[in-house]
Amino acid sequence: MNFATSLALCATAFGLWAPAQAANVQVHVLDASGKPLSDAVVFLESKDAKAAVKPAREAAIAQVGKEFTPRVTVVPVGTAVDFPNRDKVRHHVYSFSPAKNFELKLYAGTPATPVVFDRAGVAVLGCNIHDNMIAWVVVVDTPYYGRSAADGHVQLSGVPEGSYRLRVWHTDLASGAAPSDQPIDIVATGSAASVRLRESKK
Amino acid sequence: MLFQRLNRALVRFGGGGLAARIVALSLLLLLLVQAAGFGVVRSNIDRNARAQLANELRVGERVWQRLLDTQAQRLRQGAALLSADFGFRAAASSGDTATISSALENHGARIGATVAALLDTNFEPRAVHAGTTQALTSVLRDMATSLARENGGNRVALIDGQPHQFVAVPLRAPQTIGWVVMGFPLGQTLVDDMHALSGLQVALLSKSSGAREHITATTLRSAIASTELLRQGAATDGSMLLDGDELFVHTVPQDAAGGNLRTLLMRSVAEVAAPFRQVQVVLAAITLLGVLLFALGSAWMARRVTTPLRALVGASYRLGSGDYSQALEGTQRSDEIGELARAFDHMRVSIAAQEAEMRHLAFTDPLTNMPNRARFREVVRAAIATAERTRTEGAGAGAGAGAGAGVAVLMLDLDRFKHVNDVLGYAMGDRLLCSVAQRLTTQVVRHGDVVARLGGDEFALLLPEADVATARALAQRIADSFEHALTLDDQTVDLSAGVGIACWPDHADNADDLLVRAEVAMYAAKQRHEPSVVYDLAMDSSSALNLSLLSELRRAVDDGELRLYLQPKIALHSRRLVGAEGLVRWQHPQRGLVQPMDFIPFAEQTGFVRQLTLWIFEEAARQWHHLQAHGPVQISINLSTRDLIDLELPQKLNAILRRHGAPESGFCLEITESAIMDDPARAEATLNTLRTCGFKLSIDDFGTGYSSLAYLRKLPVDELKIDRSFVLGLQSNPDDAKIVRSTIDLAHNLGLSVVAEGIENEAVFAQLAALHCDEGQGYHMSRPLPLADFVGWAARWNASHMQIEQAAVEEAALA
Repeated sequence: MNFATSLALCATAFGLWAPAQAANVQVHVLDASGKPLSDAVVFLESKDAKAAVKPAREAAIAQVGKEFTPRVTVVPVGTAVDFPNRDKVRHHVYSFSPAKNFELKLYAGTPATPVVFDRAGVAVLGCNIHDNMIAWVVVVDTPYYGRSAADGHVQLSGVPEGSYRLRVWHTDLASGAAPSDQPIDIVATGSAASVRLRESKK
Repeated sequence: MLFQRLNRALVRFGGGGLAARIVALSLLLLLLVQAAGFGVVRSNIDRNARAQLANELRVGERVWQRLLDTQAQRLRQGAALLSADFGFRAAASSGDTATISSALENHGARIGATVAALLDTNFEPRAVHAGTTQALTSVLRDMATSLARENGGNRVALIDGQPHQFVAVPLRAPQTIGWVVMGFPLGQTLVDDMHALSGLQVALLSKSSGAREHITATTLRSAIASTELLRQGAATDGSMLLDGDELFVHTVPQDAAGGNLRTLLMRSVAEVAAPFRQVQVVLAAITLLGVLLFALGSAWMARRVTTPLRALVGASYRLGSGDYSQALEGTQRSDEIGELARAFDHMRVSIAAQEAEMRHLAFTDPLTNMPNRARFREVVRAAIATAERTRTEGAGAGAGAGAGAGVAVLMLDLDRFKHVNDVLGYAMGDRLLCSVAQRLTTQVVRHGDVVARLGGDEFALLLPEADVATARALAQRIADSFEHALTLDDQTVDLSAGVGIACWPDHADNADDLLVRAEVAMYAAKQRHEPSVVYDLAMDSSSALNLSLLSELRRAVDDGELRLYLQPKIALHSRRLVGAEGLVRWQHPQRGLVQPMDFIPFAEQTGFVRQLTLWIFEEAARQWHHLQAHGPVQISINLSTRDLIDLELPQKLNAILRRHGAPESGFCLEITESAIMDDPARAEATLNTLRTCGFKLSIDDFGTGYSSLAYLRKLPVDELKIDRSFVLGLQSNPDDAKIVRSTIDLAHNLGLSVVAEGIENEAVFAQLAALHCDEGQGYHMSRPLPLADFVGWAARWNASHMQIEQAAVEEAALA
């Protein structure tokens, strides 16, 4: 199987360009067939953005009913994530992803030390006991990120003007596949972009 | 061929014939039925076997698929286990190819996979265990791609010509991060498993692209079979001959990457048919047993039929040979055989009775109910045989006892019986004979003595274990008993008899001689007028000669040694040939020509003269027509006393004449005066009959007997023959001349013609002619001549006589 990510760009300047001024960015995510895609992780990368990143104060992925909750978590680099086990059974959470290779051996309750995701990338999480459990942690190197709503729209606000890389990731992308990547210029008046993802599934 | 041999064997077994045929037929029918059954069973077996084969092969295909599936599943499970192994997942995530390879090898080995590989999500091999060749890499990629799409299937691919079964399972962490592909060789183990499961023979044929097809694995043990399998190809389903074994083949094609793979499922027809064949063998054994039992049963049955039949055959042969004593077997049986046996037995009894009756008639004198001559002869013979045996045994037991007792025969002839018959009549004669028989019987006191009537007034007595003294004593008693006269009605008849005695072994050494000697002695007794005479050798020195003479005479008749001679009879007045006397001569092979005087009297004595008479008559009748060539010639034949007694003589003569077409008138029968006087009544009767028949009758040797003229007148004779003794003395003795003259006169007066015998010269001829004797014969005219000479003589005589006659006629004419 061969798959590639292509972006169909349709960027339109939206509002007035204002330097050093925060702007809102509207992104519309579509799937391969052109339908709005929800729960797509959208983030903007740039040097400045990387410099501005701060770890989230707190983040947790709970295990409830032999499932990770939430399934997809987006955290800035350096965020420590807790893995509270709210089930009666034990879980053995692991990730072999390059973004974060870790293992929480059979445990109950919340492990004392949270897992710090210190590298940008997508970490796929599983439970060695329960093969069906899966979760993703998208570690972003930027403070500007969001997730598409059911209509495929997401708005990133407070983004300073400048050139960015617009990246979109979704669980439907092939495992290990990098998020889509496209340049975007953010102007003060606001920017808008439409991203068409070519998923691996279905 | 087989059947013939069987039949021959049966023939030997059953003794041939009916039994063998019954057995053979039964067996043949049984074999036919069995063969038909056998054929039906056989064809059914074949059909069933083939149907079963087809079915087994169909099932076999399912089993094979299932086996492959099971194996794939096992493989998949192994692969799945591997891919789920945390350590392996960790290793795979680590990206350390060496580690991954060793993990693949380790886990693959656990489940017997020879190929194990980890492919990334793009199906690019990341790590391969089994040595990476370019071919394998591409195969793995193709394999994994299709398998991943299919999720749970398996694929077969040829790796270096060897078929491998491949499965692929995703490696999840927890998302699919790659594929674990495992390959398992399809080889001997699998086909052996298949064989163990299904009993089918399996061959795995693989053909890599561009290479020749070869057998990867097979359960066929025989290398030859494998070779033949490859050669024949077995492209399609059907039957195939491998190494002499017929196999049904079903081909299961298999998708295989990198070439073609076929699985041949085979089943030996013989193997499938084997249990059926066993049934056939049992059936054949049953058939064989059945045939054996059937053969025995039929043979037994046949024997039950044929044994009594053979017994009947044997019995009928016994009946044929005259043994009626043994009752038949099987008459108590209730079947047809029994019926036959009863019929046979009934026949046996009645034949025995009839024969007994016939024997009785043949060996009994009907008048006195005594044994007859034939019977008596047998009894004497038996008595001699018994005595002989006793002597031999006695001689063996010791000296002294050798003398033993002999066998005595008494022969008795009544005197003057003829006279009694003449005077009192035949009925009285018969009664007389019965009385004599009665007396003789009462005189015989010993058990075992036999009294027989030999014929006429001749009786005989047999005394076994007796000697001359005993015989003499009996003869004396008989003589004494004859002292008393016999009274028949009012007539009193004096009885007397001559008794001849002969004893075995003193006088003869066999029965026939003994009887002859007794007879000789009897005649001697009569001659001497003694009551009994014991045979003495001197008494009949010629009897032995006579006996041989008799047998020679018989042979003479049979072998044609007798000759008919003819002596011409001439009419004295006209000198014409008018007749001839037939005389017999015996051309003896050793003794030459035997004169009548040397055997005729003997023949008369023994009665053989009758055969002689008939022979002469027959010969004369046969030649009669030749003799008439020179004028009518009447042939005179002499009859003896014995001939005259024979009442059937006229018929016999008549038959002979009919045979040769000669007339009675052509014959003159001459009877001697003494012959007539022996039994005048019977002679007269016979002569009358002959006269009526048309024969001319003549009294021979007239003048020597004592017949009265009165009696002569009663006889139906035409001619007198003056005895030669008178004729010979005609010239020298005046008395003879007177006798001749008066005889001629007398005869003429009685209306008889006269013939003179013994004319030896012309003077006698002339004298007799002067005495008006009618005819004459003698050496003066001719001796008796054989036929050929006689005809010649007759021609000459007639010629000369004609001349004389002619001359006389001429003389008379001149006068």
